[in-house]
Amino acid sequence: MGFVGLVWANLLRNPLRSLLTAGAVALAVLLVCILLTMPAGLDALISRIASNTRISVVNEAGLVYTMPYAYARKIRALPGVEDAMAQMWFGGAFEEEGRVTFPNFAVEADRVETVFPDWNIAPEGMADFRRYRDGAIVGRETMKKYGWKIGDRITLRSTIWPVALDLRIVAEIPSDRAPVLWLNRDYLEQTLEAMGRKLGIAGIIWVKVRDPKDVNSVMLRIEELTKNSDAETSTQTEKSFFSSFFGSLEGFVTILMTVTVLVSLCIVFIAGNTASMAVRERAGEIAVLKAIGFPRRVIFSMLVAETLLLASLAGAAGVGLAYALTTALREVAAGSAQLGPLGGFIVTRGVVIEGLVLSLAIGALAGFVPAFGAARRPVAETLREIF
Amino acid sequence: MSEPSVGREPLIRLEHVSRRYVRGVDEVHALEDCSLEVSQGRFAAFMGPSGSGKSTLLNLVSGIDRPSDGRVFVSGQLLNELDEDELAAWRARHVGLIFQFFNLIPVLSARDNVALPLLLSDLSRAERTRRAEIALRVVGLEHRVDHSPRTLSGGEQQRVAIARALVSDPDLIVADEPTGDLDAKNAEATLDLLRQLKEEFGKTVVMVTHDPRALRFVDQVFHLDKGLLLEGEEARRAHDALALAAGGPVRAREV
Repeated sequence: MGFVGLVWANLLRNPLRSLLTAGAVALAVLLVCILLTMPAGLDALISRIASNTRISVVNEAGLVYTMPYAYARKIRALPGVEDAMAQMWFGGAFEEEGRVTFPNFAVEADRVETVFPDWNIAPEGMADFRRYRDGAIVGRETMKKYGWKIGDRITLRSTIWPVALDLRIVAEIPSDRAPVLWLNRDYLEQTLEAMGRKLGIAGIIWVKVRDPKDVNSVMLRIEELTKNSDAETSTQTEKSFFSSFFGSLEGFVTILMTVTVLVSLCIVFIAGNTASMAVRERAGEIAVLKAIGFPRRVIFSMLVAETLLLASLAGAAGVGLAYALTTALREVAAGSAQLGPLGGFIVTRGVVIEGLVLSLAIGALAGFVPAFGAARRPVAETLREIF
Repeated sequence: MSEPSVGREPLIRLEHVSRRYVRGVDEVHALEDCSLEVSQGRFAAFMGPSGSGKSTLLNLVSGIDRPSDGRVFVSGQLLNELDEDELAAWRARHVGLIFQFFNLIPVLSARDNVALPLLLSDLSRAERTRRAEIALRVVGLEHRVDHSPRTLSGGEQQRVAIARALVSDPDLIVADEPTGDLDAKNAEATLDLLRQLKEEFGKTVVMVTHDPRALRFVDQVFHLDKGLLLEGEEARRAHDALALAAGGPVRAREV
C-alpha cells in the first residue's frame, strides 16, 4: 500500500457519506456544464432559424406599431434588394376558443418564395397559395397539433379586424421553425374593402438582400428612406432580430450562472463541513500518524488529496452525465422538429475542462481549512486531549 | 533488526527538565526539574498515579513534546534544538510508539498498519511489505497479516501496534500504558514481548504504566508524583508498595 492506497482507503471508510458528498458535487458540475452550453446553444439556435441576408424592417417605435404598406414597394426599388414581403398580424382565433392559439399573419403570397427560399415549401403548394386567394400555408407543428392535412378548411375570426376568413390549407411549411399560419394578404385586403375599410399598412417588412456584403448598405438605405417620415423604421438582420428577441433569455442565463456559482459555493461549504467532520472523527488517528513521524506537509497533502480525489471523480461523473444528457437530447431532437434546435447544446472540450476545473476547485477549497487545521495542531496537544 | 548491543552510554538523558502548559486560564506544572538517564538496551518504566507527569515525561523522551526548561538528549541528539518537522523526521528514524488503545487504522489490514511508518522511507512497496511481514512474525501474528483490526482481539491489536513500532528498526521503543486496555493474560504477554525486544534485539524500551506486574519485566523504574521524580526514601516506599502488588519476583530496581 502506498499513499494513494491510504487516501483511497480513507475515502471508503464511510462509503455512504462519500457517495452523498460526491453526488452533491456531481450535480453541481452537471448543472454548471449544462448552463455553460447555453450561450453557444443559443447562437446555434439563432443560426439555425435565421438568415443573415434577410432583413426585418419594423416601426422604430416598436413591433406593435405599423408602417405604410407603400414602404414595401419603395424598398423593392432600392439597389441590392432582391425582393421584399409585407407581413401583417391577423390575430385569427377559432370561434370556440376565442383567443389566438398560434401565430397567423397576412403576407404577400407571390413574394414568399423569393424572400424565404430557405423554407423549402413544396412548389405545387406555393403555386396553390398564389392561385387561391383563400389559400393558407401552415407550419408543420401546427398542422400536427390540430391534425390538419392539405385541403382542409378552417375559419379564423380576427381579433383585430372585424372579419372572419374561411381558409383552405394548401401547403405545409416543412421545417421546425415558427409554427405560423400565413394567409393571402389580398384576401384580407379585399374582404376589408368590401366592408368599406382599407388595409394599407404592414407590421413587418421582410427584405431579401441579393448579396450578403450589401446587407449593411441596404439597411442604411432603408432607414434613410423612411427618415423624417411619420413612421421611421428600424432595420436589422433576421439573425440580430432573433438575437434581440433572445436577449432577455441571455440575461436569464446570466442570472442562472450567478445562481450556479452560488450553488457551487454552497457545495464547497457542504463538502468542507463533511471534510471537517471526517477529520474530527479521525483526530486520534491523525495524531498517531504525526506521532510516528508523518510531517505536517504530508498530513496536509493526504487530507487535501482525499477531497480532491472525491471531487474530481464526482466532477468527472458530472461532466459525463452532462455529455450523456446533451448527446441524448441531440439524438431525440434530431427526430423532432419541435426539439430540433436543442441539438445545438453541446458539451465541448472547453466545457469539459471548465467542469473538471470547477470540481478540483471545490475539492481544494473544501479540503484546505480542515487539512490545514489538522496539520498545524501540535501532536502533543492532540494526544493530551484525545487519549 | 539490529543485533543486541547493550551498552553503558545513556541513550536518554534529561537535565533539569520542566514542562508547563496553559489549560484554560490555569498554568499546569506537569513536570518539574526532572533529571534522569536510561542506558541503551534497558527496559525502563515510568510509574505513578494519574496526573503524576509520567505521560508528559514519555512525550518529552519520545520527541512528541518539548520541554519548557531543561535539556532532553536522546541518541546523542539534543531534542530542544529541533522544530516540529525536524522532530517528526527524528521520531520516524529513532522512535517506535505504542499506545494504550492500539490506535490502528481500522480501514487497513494488519500488514498495511505495520507498514505505515515505512511509507516515509524510500523503500519499494515490496520491501515495505516484506519488512511488515517480518515484524508481524516477530510478534507472532504471521497468520493474521490480512486481517483488519476489527477482526483481531485486543491482545492481537496491541501486538500489531508493537510490530508497527518495531518495523522501522528504531533505537527506542516508547509505550504509553500498553497493558491498560488488556486482560491479565494479554497484559503479561505484551510485557513479555516488550522484554523480548530488549533482550533479543537490543532495543531500549521505555514504558508508562500503572500495572504493578510491570516490575517483573522491567530493569529500571522511575516513580513520579505530582510532576516530581521521586528519589531516596520516597521512591523506595513507592517501589515497595508496587512490588507487593506485583504478585511475583520483582526484577526492577527503583531509581
